[in-house]
Amino acid sequence: MGNERRQKVLIADDSEMNRAILADMLGNDYDIIEAENGKEAVAILQKQSSEIDLLLLDIVMPEMDGFGVLRAMNEFRWIEDTPVIMISAENTPDRVQQAYELGITDFISRPFDAIIVHHRVVNTILLYAKQKKLVNMVTDQIYEKEKQSALMIDILSHIVEFRNGESGQHVLHIRTLTELMLRHLLQMSDKYFISKSDISMISTAAALHDIGKIAIPAEILNKPGRLTPEEFAVMKTHSEIGASMLEALPVHQNESLVRKAYEICRWHHERYDGKGYPDGLKGDEIPISAQIVALADVYDALTSERVYKKAIPHEKAVEMILDGQCGQFNPLLLQCLRELEDKIREEMSRVEIRDWSDKRNMRNIADEIMQHEELSASERTLQLLDHERMKYQFFADMSQEVQFEYTVSPPMVVLSEWGARHLGMDEIIMNPCSDKTVRDCFEEGVLENMHQALINTSPSDPIINYDCCVKIKGTDRWIKIIARATWSSDEPPKYQGAIGKALDIHETRTKMAALEEMAAHDAMTGLYNHKFARIRIQDMMTSRPDSKFALGIFDVDHFKQANDTYGHMFGDQVLIHMAKTLKRNMREGTVSARVGGDEFLLFFEYRQHVDLAINRIFNSLIGKYEDFPISVSMGVAQTDVAGTDYDQLFHAADQALYTVKQGGRGYFKFYDGKGCDALTAISPIEDGNDGDGQEEIKEGKEEDS
Amino acid sequence: MTLQECYAALEGDFEGVMGRLRTERLVQKFVLKFLDDGSYQLLTESMENGNYDDAFRAAHTIKGVGQNLGFNKLFESSHLLTEALRGKDLDAAAPLYEQVKADYAQTVDAIRQYQASL
Repeated sequence: MGNERRQKVLIADDSEMNRAILADMLGNDYDIIEAENGKEAVAILQKQSSEIDLLLLDIVMPEMDGFGVLRAMNEFRWIEDTPVIMISAENTPDRVQQAYELGITDFISRPFDAIIVHHRVVNTILLYAKQKKLVNMVTDQIYEKEKQSALMIDILSHIVEFRNGESGQHVLHIRTLTELMLRHLLQMSDKYFISKSDISMISTAAALHDIGKIAIPAEILNKPGRLTPEEFAVMKTHSEIGASMLEALPVHQNESLVRKAYEICRWHHERYDGKGYPDGLKGDEIPISAQIVALADVYDALTSERVYKKAIPHEKAVEMILDGQCGQFNPLLLQCLRELEDKIREEMSRVEIRDWSDKRNMRNIADEIMQHEELSASERTLQLLDHERMKYQFFADMSQEVQFEYTVSPPMVVLSEWGARHLGMDEIIMNPCSDKTVRDCFEEGVLENMHQALINTSPSDPIINYDCCVKIKGTDRWIKIIARATWSSDEPPKYQGAIGKALDIHETRTKMAALEEMAAHDAMTGLYNHKFARIRIQDMMTSRPDSKFALGIFDVDHFKQANDTYGHMFGDQVLIHMAKTLKRNMREGTVSARVGGDEFLLFFEYRQHVDLAINRIFNSLIGKYEDFPISVSMGVAQTDVAGTDYDQLFHAADQALYTVKQGGRGYFKFYDGKGCDALTAISPIEDGNDGDGQEEIKEGKEEDS
Repeated sequence: MTLQECYAALEGDFEGVMGRLRTERLVQKFVLKFLDDGSYQLLTESMENGNYDDAFRAAHTIKGVGQNLGFNKLFESSHLLTEALRGKDLDAAAPLYEQVKADYAQTVDAIRQYQASL
């Protein structure tokens, strides 16, 4: 830690008196940040845990107690970098032990002594600062060392490649493949004792597999045509030569890297069936490192262009290997290849000579750090992180969007500053799914659906779009939530939460809804138009195939007279009046529409006595509008007679109506199923066809009107 | 009235607090600050409203502050009240609450007298 900045101490205690006393005890040596409950402490840590040098923590606090804070610090691994001194009168042994188990550095009982508090704080901060410095030194050393040895190996293997006239990518490919296969093999089986550091070592050593070729005469090595048996015998010696070269190294004999490289050099041309060279080893007599490199070597030879052959596509190469056309391999490795097929294709197309070794180095360092849990993120990483956070916060503020980050464990949502203000919520919300402010905002089930949708994503396709209506400060708004699920790098990956943002789509959405509404309705009467009614009716019949439905069509008798006598304006008034009457007298769930000039349609589900229902509606429609007497003619078709094909059903009702009109108007009729389908009463607006065939309609009659 | 006399009046441990906070200036500062502490008000309100979780925390805070400042009498009674409230033993809490009220009044009276004499 540099000396330039003052160290920061966070004091979390609900009593202002206690915070003041502690702050006074620490004097002017530190920057003091205060939190008056656990939730606030977690919020501050969330924002700047890497800057907090020490936390003085009380146990009994509102909102979230000290143990809650410690649990959160463990979940986020802040406890590894931020020392905690707990101060409490709750000093029963099990409480103290629990606190130590959760990772506190020290426990001070009340009443506290100024000198003790001061010294413990100073000592703890110093200790941690020293440890951090050491960690940084070690990390830098590892980084330097790894960089250099990788560089040397790259140069060496590149010399070999150069002499071979190979693409220069070969060594990179072998390394990548070896590493991929090893990682996957480790998940598939624990048969081979491979540790994480073995993986990085074996893939580094793999680069040296062909160093023996340095001793093969160039004429043979780079001969464009087929090798003679004699030449091939010389070529085959390269594996033994490579191994001897390593064996003859005057120093480093016991380095595991050298030992692995020896195995690989010597035995990467052995075959699983024992027919390889130089030693004819069989099955698992061949070290697993050499088995994998052999497979990788074959794959890369197939898929690369050489002086004597063209490149074979990935799929074909995998197929050839699996078929045993290119040697015999361990069945477990073949399975490994099969399972990795897609990943290999992806990775191999990505291998770039330049940044590859750097990335690999970073990975090794990361591994190293992970293996030694006492080592924490280096200063370098922290600086990068701080920079990223500053950038993130700046853009988040600028964008005026609700941005959020959700973690499953601990269950917590962190909102962007602007987002929290906009929603009228806290920036940090613990247990969001049971939080009242959150629940009030979303409709029942929305959170659960969204959660499910996120869990159903995969690391390769982690993004969801979710439209929903929320209550923001008491007003309903439509929003679109775009979220990306975060998956761990474990195998199999674990769902860890999500990041995302909410876009306000209220205006667009309302406009769309209004347009849809307009498109579905007849402008004059406000009823559905025929096109939309048809869709609704078809939907209803499809979704309830066992129900019975009736479709009626009616028109206003002598409507033309109304138009002619009183003018078109009046005619329109009559139509509006009819629509209103119809709406008023329909039961819930009935579809009604205007399907032509003065023709209307109604459609509903019934259980029994459809005639009574029709009769009721029919009677409600007749009467007077101003001086104009209104009567209607109606044809009705039932689905159990005319079927559930919309066109047939409509046509059947149309035929019944036709008969009514022929029979003098002013009553209704049911279609009886015997009609031939050529006649229509409906004005030709859609598929109305003029015919003059004969039809038979059951003689319904106007009942008691 | 000296600070030591003030401690005698509120039945506290003046030497203890001097040992911990080291200077009379600091002790004086926090003794006077005690008058502004809201915990007692939170205690009375939550006891009256039957909100015993809040009452527990308030009693706990008074206990902690009392302990730090060496207000031994108030510390003792608030300590007992804290434990009764922690165990939700309301029968025991009622008389202890009366005791805390009395001790708090005694403490505040002493501090006010001291403040007036400054």
